[in-house]
Amino acid sequence: MLTLANPFGLLALLGIPAVLAIHFLQRKARELPVSTLFLLERTQRDAASGRRLDRLIPSVPLWMQLLAVLLLAWFLSDPRYQKSGSVQRIAVVVDSSASMGVFMADAIERLNDEIPKLSGGSATIEFTILESAPGRPNLYRGSSVTELNTILQNWRPLDGLNDPTQTIRLARSLVSREGTVIYLTDTLQEPLPFGAKLIAVGEPIDNVGFTGVSFTNEEGTLVWHAMLKNYGSSATERTWYMQTATSKSKPRTIRLEPGAMMTLQSAFPSEAKNVMIVLTPDRFPLDDRLPLVAPQPKRLAIQTASSPAFEALTGKLLRSLESAVPSNDAASADLSITSYDPLDPVPPSGNSIVFVEDSTRAGAYLKGGIVTEAHPFLDGLNWQSLLVRETIQLDLLAGDTVLLWQDKRPLIFLRESNDHQQLCFNFDLRLSNAESLPAFIVLLHRFAESIRGQKITYSAAILETGQSLRISVDPSLDLKISAVDLSGNPLIFTEDSKTAPMTPGFLTATQGTTKLLDAAVFFADTREADFSACAKSGQETLALASTIERHTRPDPLWRFWLLLLLAAMLVSWKFTATKATA
Amino acid sequence: MNSFQMDLESMQDCHGRALQLVARLRLPLRSRVWKGQSGDFTGGGTGSSMDFQDHRAYSPGDDPRHINWQAFARTGSYTMKLYREEVRPVVDLILDVSDSMFFTSAKATRTTELFYLIAESAQAMGASLAVHAVRGDRSLTLDPAALRSHRWFQTASVLAAPDPAQIPVLSRLPLRSNAIRVFLSDLLFAGDPVPLLRHLGQRHGSIIIFSPYLQEEANPAWSGNYEFIDPERGTQHPHRIEPAILERYLISYNQHFTLWKDQSRHHQAAFARIPAEDDLATVLFHEAVPCGALEAT
Repeated sequence: MLTLANPFGLLALLGIPAVLAIHFLQRKARELPVSTLFLLERTQRDAASGRRLDRLIPSVPLWMQLLAVLLLAWFLSDPRYQKSGSVQRIAVVVDSSASMGVFMADAIERLNDEIPKLSGGSATIEFTILESAPGRPNLYRGSSVTELNTILQNWRPLDGLNDPTQTIRLARSLVSREGTVIYLTDTLQEPLPFGAKLIAVGEPIDNVGFTGVSFTNEEGTLVWHAMLKNYGSSATERTWYMQTATSKSKPRTIRLEPGAMMTLQSAFPSEAKNVMIVLTPDRFPLDDRLPLVAPQPKRLAIQTASSPAFEALTGKLLRSLESAVPSNDAASADLSITSYDPLDPVPPSGNSIVFVEDSTRAGAYLKGGIVTEAHPFLDGLNWQSLLVRETIQLDLLAGDTVLLWQDKRPLIFLRESNDHQQLCFNFDLRLSNAESLPAFIVLLHRFAESIRGQKITYSAAILETGQSLRISVDPSLDLKISAVDLSGNPLIFTEDSKTAPMTPGFLTATQGTTKLLDAAVFFADTREADFSACAKSGQETLALASTIERHTRPDPLWRFWLLLLLAAMLVSWKFTATKATA
Repeated sequence: MNSFQMDLESMQDCHGRALQLVARLRLPLRSRVWKGQSGDFTGGGTGSSMDFQDHRAYSPGDDPRHINWQAFARTGSYTMKLYREEVRPVVDLILDVSDSMFFTSAKATRTTELFYLIAESAQAMGASLAVHAVRGDRSLTLDPAALRSHRWFQTASVLAAPDPAQIPVLSRLPLRSNAIRVFLSDLLFAGDPVPLLRHLGQRHGSIIIFSPYLQEEANPAWSGNYEFIDPERGTQHPHRIEPAILERYLISYNQHFTLWKDQSRHHQAAFARIPAEDDLATVLFHEAVPCGALEAT
């Protein structure tokens, strides 16, 4: 198979019309009276075959010059012949963010246009197609362009914004230094790492979609508030309606200026299990429908068993925790807030937040550096401004996990057993400024939420696509999770999935006859809904000269063509000189 | 007529040059045995000239002044002396007036010069001159007396033929027997020369052919694309001339005139090709005299 390493060399063929134009200009006839015309026509009658030949070969210099142009174009285009058995490896990292779904058809078409150029004239091309999100299996590996196209046509990118660097590195390791790595996306990128080539197929398009939802209780009625944004550059009108399993509200028209946000709201129908807010569809459909369920967090029963000294704090905590209800029964409470009086040391039981209560004295402020242990409860929290006076301490047990130190003094530790956790503050809050620290409140909330999360009970929630899924289950029973998309079609979902589905829809988790979770899953990555930065890349993905050289060999007859070119030029010159002399 | 129009002044110049040459060159009338009207040339029969030819026996009624008395003294019988008769030469001048003869200034001038030379030479030698113009199958007899008024050109110009490029038809010309038939033509027509030569040579005619030609047609430097104009028909013919075609043209040209030359020789015709470019006297001495078309005085 022939490959032209420098297709631009064919521009030399423009010399053909130039040569023809010169000859035709020369062909302008001169008028000349001749009385021996009959002799001239006799010569052309006599050479009957010559006359036919004369028509075909009007000028030897013309044909020699045309031949020279053809040969020159051949040389300049650098023809190369394929080496048998040569293989070119091409890895394509496809942007798996949701915005690519709008441009997949263009992406497949553009990829098919570029593949022949990237082959470098090799006999075989091996493709590896990967998603840009790391840790995903290959989409395709093989040599068939048809299969590759089929795979890509059936594939739906649904991720949020992600960094393809890791996958590009993996792709480069798969094709080695000689192979080609392509990043197929919808936005222009900075120069890509690992020698990857960019193919961008996006374009700015207008999009209006839901960005988020919140709920309020107004006079006993649950009201949903859905935020809407116009990402486009021009004002637009949309219609929306609320749809339940049995009914549909009247469509309403709204107008949004470019970049404007709007909140839609309405009462959540009390009889409906779930609703869907439907917006006029556009090219990006993921954010045009908003599934909703009436959110119902797990209730947290909190018993306050601390001394009156901490009443204000416990009251604040109760009010700030979502779905927290006071409980007087320690046995049925999910969480107890207790204080520990060393004079009356009653160890708390169950899940607890324990405060030391030392009314005997106010010691000096503790000295020494405050050190935070690495623990999810303390991630990102700053305790450096904590001031604590010396107080009676709780006894630290062997299994306790210290979360915060000041010098060698454990200030906060976690006591865990098989069935409960206790967050212990090893100082008297009243003799510190802990209550004024944001880290203190956040720690209390994190602990309370971890207790809530471990509770095996029903909840209903609005989740984002791909959101981490935490369901507390009874280990003795099988967990069953079912999911459907917004059209009611079941989604393939395994029970050991750690995240919500990537496709918007509804999800239900049950164990036995107990329903543990009802969730509405919606697409909420607003970065993907904004197409203003989308663009196309130019046609620059030509094969490297080294790639072509690796898979092809030069024309073995180049010496012959060179001699032929020289001969053509000599003959043309000779005929032209002869004519000039004549 | 697609030809160069000779004006009166040009014709007078041509006539003048021809007259100058008449003193140096003449038609080869003396080298021929004539029969015909009394003139200054010795005829083929017996006449009353001073040149003794032969004897015969006396017959009653013969002129006694011609009795050969020396023969009587010797033989005793009366014998008569016979003398060559003096006859007048006959020249039929046939001028091809096709457009090719006059289509350039040089050729028109040369044709006119030759025409006047032949006519004046004939008249100077006391010949009986008849002038005919011919174009294709049309012909016209011109009055020799009108030659010096130079009106013959206009007269001949209007001679129209259906196909001017046709080979001249001489059958309608009143050619005289025993005449020198001078054919002034460039011979640029297709066709076998034999019938024309035979016609010119019939009835004891002697043929002299003067063929003016252009060097630019005998040895052209054509190269490239041309719109050749046929002066006879006025038509245009596009041609692209390459060296090979030019070579074939030259071969054809030479073959054409070689055929005429060979056939002229075969028919005992003097054949002179006269180039139009050089001095008339020079070319006539160079071309016409050696082949016997003219002789020096």
